[in-house]
Amino acid sequence: MKRKPLFGAAALLMSTALVLAGCGGGNSDSGSGGSGDSASKNKEELHVAISANPPSLDPQSINSNIVGGIGVHVYEPLFAMNADYEPTPVLAESYEVSDDGMVYTIKLRQGVKFHNGEEMTADDVVASMNRWIEVSAKANTLIGGSVFEKVDDYTVNLKVNQASSDIIMILASPIQAAAIYPAEVVESATAEGISEYIGTGPYKVSEWKQDQYVKLEAYEDYQPSEGEASGLAGEKQAATPTIYYDVVTDASTRIAGVQSGEYDISEEIPIDNYEDLSSDNGLTLKVDRGGTLNLFLDTTEGVMANQTFRQAVLAALNCDDIMLAAYGNPDLYELNASWSDPTDTQWGTDEGSEYYNQQDTEKAKELLAEAGYNNEKVVLVTTQDYPEMYNATLVVQEELKQAGINAEVETYDFSTFMEHRSDPQQFDMFITSNSYNMLPIQLSVLDSGWAGLNAPEVTEGITAIRAASSDEEAAEAWADLQTFLYEYGAATVLGHYTGVIAMDKGVTGYDYLRFPIYWNVTASE
Amino acid sequence: MLKYILKRILSLIPVLFVVSCVIFLVVYMIPGGPATALLGMEATPDQIDALNAELGFDRPFLVQYVDWFTNVLRGDWGESYFLHQTVTSAIAEYFVPTLSLAVFAQIIALILSIPLGILAAYKRGTALDLTCVTASLLGSALPGFLLSMFLMLFFGVYLHWFPVAGYAALSEGLGEHLRYLFLPALSLGIVQAAYLTRMTRSSLLETLYKNYIQTARAKGLKEKKVVMKYALKNGAPVILTAVGQSFGSLITGTIVTETLFNIPGLGMLTLTSINRRDVFVIQGVVIFVTLLYVIVNLIVDILYGFTDPRLRPGRK
Repeated sequence: MKRKPLFGAAALLMSTALVLAGCGGGNSDSGSGGSGDSASKNKEELHVAISANPPSLDPQSINSNIVGGIGVHVYEPLFAMNADYEPTPVLAESYEVSDDGMVYTIKLRQGVKFHNGEEMTADDVVASMNRWIEVSAKANTLIGGSVFEKVDDYTVNLKVNQASSDIIMILASPIQAAAIYPAEVVESATAEGISEYIGTGPYKVSEWKQDQYVKLEAYEDYQPSEGEASGLAGEKQAATPTIYYDVVTDASTRIAGVQSGEYDISEEIPIDNYEDLSSDNGLTLKVDRGGTLNLFLDTTEGVMANQTFRQAVLAALNCDDIMLAAYGNPDLYELNASWSDPTDTQWGTDEGSEYYNQQDTEKAKELLAEAGYNNEKVVLVTTQDYPEMYNATLVVQEELKQAGINAEVETYDFSTFMEHRSDPQQFDMFITSNSYNMLPIQLSVLDSGWAGLNAPEVTEGITAIRAASSDEEAAEAWADLQTFLYEYGAATVLGHYTGVIAMDKGVTGYDYLRFPIYWNVTASE
Repeated sequence: MLKYILKRILSLIPVLFVVSCVIFLVVYMIPGGPATALLGMEATPDQIDALNAELGFDRPFLVQYVDWFTNVLRGDWGESYFLHQTVTSAIAEYFVPTLSLAVFAQIIALILSIPLGILAAYKRGTALDLTCVTASLLGSALPGFLLSMFLMLFFGVYLHWFPVAGYAALSEGLGEHLRYLFLPALSLGIVQAAYLTRMTRSSLLETLYKNYIQTARAKGLKEKKVVMKYALKNGAPVILTAVGQSFGSLITGTIVTETLFNIPGLGMLTLTSINRRDVFVIQGVVIFVTLLYVIVNLIVDILYGFTDPRLRPGRK
């Protein structure tokens, strides 16, 4: 009698646990009724764990990988990049350019239907594209002032502000993409973005539960463009009928979830877990090159305005150590002076590499003496919200101290960091990881609002690239501009980082171009 | 009685006013605004300024606060720019998982702690008592996130008994709902049980050696009746206070557990809205949580009266 309460409690708890555990299992196989259960047993639902709730589902205006990554499954542009980084028609059928390069006549594909059942026509394209030129910062800085006009229901004209060889490439940029929405969605959009999520893509948004998931369902009337699947263009199948983008902010939960089978795919695996997970036989790890980790230098205030001083900073850096501290494993980064993806045949170049990864403390000291440096305090601002940026900053600080620079680190939360970063009076240097751009002229470093770089050489360089008559000439002009960035000591690439995605062994058909692509992905039961 | 409750509720108003004022000021003073969070890493300062102006965040502090405060008095708590819904509907939505989790965790905590506490007090000084005390100290010392991760790894990844994370609404069935909540509830329940066991034990120890217990025994009452009716009932106010506090802390959202187990509750809403600088949501959540906490305490005070008539409000 005396022991009864204890045993009773334990028994009750155990039985609850077992009953609850028994309830499980009916989770993912609930929808396997309709389709053929003969050959391959694929899941009807694909669960992808993403690291943050998307701030919106308006890829035109928001520069966010999560918005863009979901967006490519829902919306389509006129042109998109194929696997070889060539712009390929998607909603467009063909285009012609006038002799002076000022007017692009674009024929649209016929019979393409939006997720609301209505056909896409020139009116929708004109409304969407004109909004895009206005709200997409990347588009606005390059082709702001250009206008789309309707010719007939399936033809539009683009009158550009300035003739350039890269117009179609800009239209095909995957980040802040030129997504085509129905005209009425564009008209009802506010400053915060669109409020209905209707595109022409292989998946439609069926439900968005804030902070929980975005549920996409295959669009039954989807009209794929012809040609083999390649990058963001070609045939898209919607191979798994339903995709859940589950918002899982905690990284260890994303890992435990993909190991237990709760999620089929987990994005943004922290580098610390890379080695651990690579020994897990049930998982495949995909490592995709994602962008560059960069050090930006103020070029306007105090001692930072002195070019020789900035050269001393570049001389002091040992990029291998910095990247190792940031990414933890040499498999996960690459040292290269290029600001673009080094494999990009047109824009990848190592011009200016004599200023990259110099590891020369002596030279740094000499340059400091020459610059008349008098132990002025130099502030590196950073944020712990991005561990790679923070860890790299600490190593840079140490290397600068070695060279005799009085470097201090100030750490803030992300929003505060961004506030400091945008004002040269509030930082001397900072490090950010920046995703690749399709065109080097879209790089943040060239934007005076980013780190305050405001040299005439930059504007001239951009003009030269855009006015180039051939791809080769454009590439050459970019190589010159990259050299200038290094020479001027405005910023330096520290290295190229990768993103790690973990997926179940049963997942096939995965592809990556700027974003993870899931439309041809299946997961076996 | 009614007067007492009314008085308590009225005394809340200055508390809420000060809390709202302080929170608004803090959010106003920390740099970075909703526009920075909304537009992403590479937004230009011009874009951020434009959106801030559009949203009214470029106005002076007092203007913003008075504007917000008068709206609240009218029942309009503002709107979240990220969630695309009003603050009140967001709180209502995010409160459901928290409430479910809190109730579930509290039940687990009670099932574990009350019998253990009674037993430990009754068997004072024995190995059983020592084990209970040690276990409850360990439970209080163990960081909640560590326990959560251990449970997640063991029951989720290793045994596959429970989903590692996530949330199923009640509309998906009670079984599914509880299955997702079990691990987080167990994790929270164990930590709360550790505290409640100690409180139960110590309050019972006090009463077990009182004279009336001796009398009850002397007149030949059964041990069970002596402990469960006389001792426990007299120790109840202390235990009730402890339970009230523990429920208060559970129901106001548990940031770490909810984030780890990915449960879209108040705790997660608090954290994400701070990161997003979603001012009105932060305000709304803080006021709501303050209200909840005070109400839970009020209910506990009223319940005292049922366990001990001497403590009934209104009695001199």
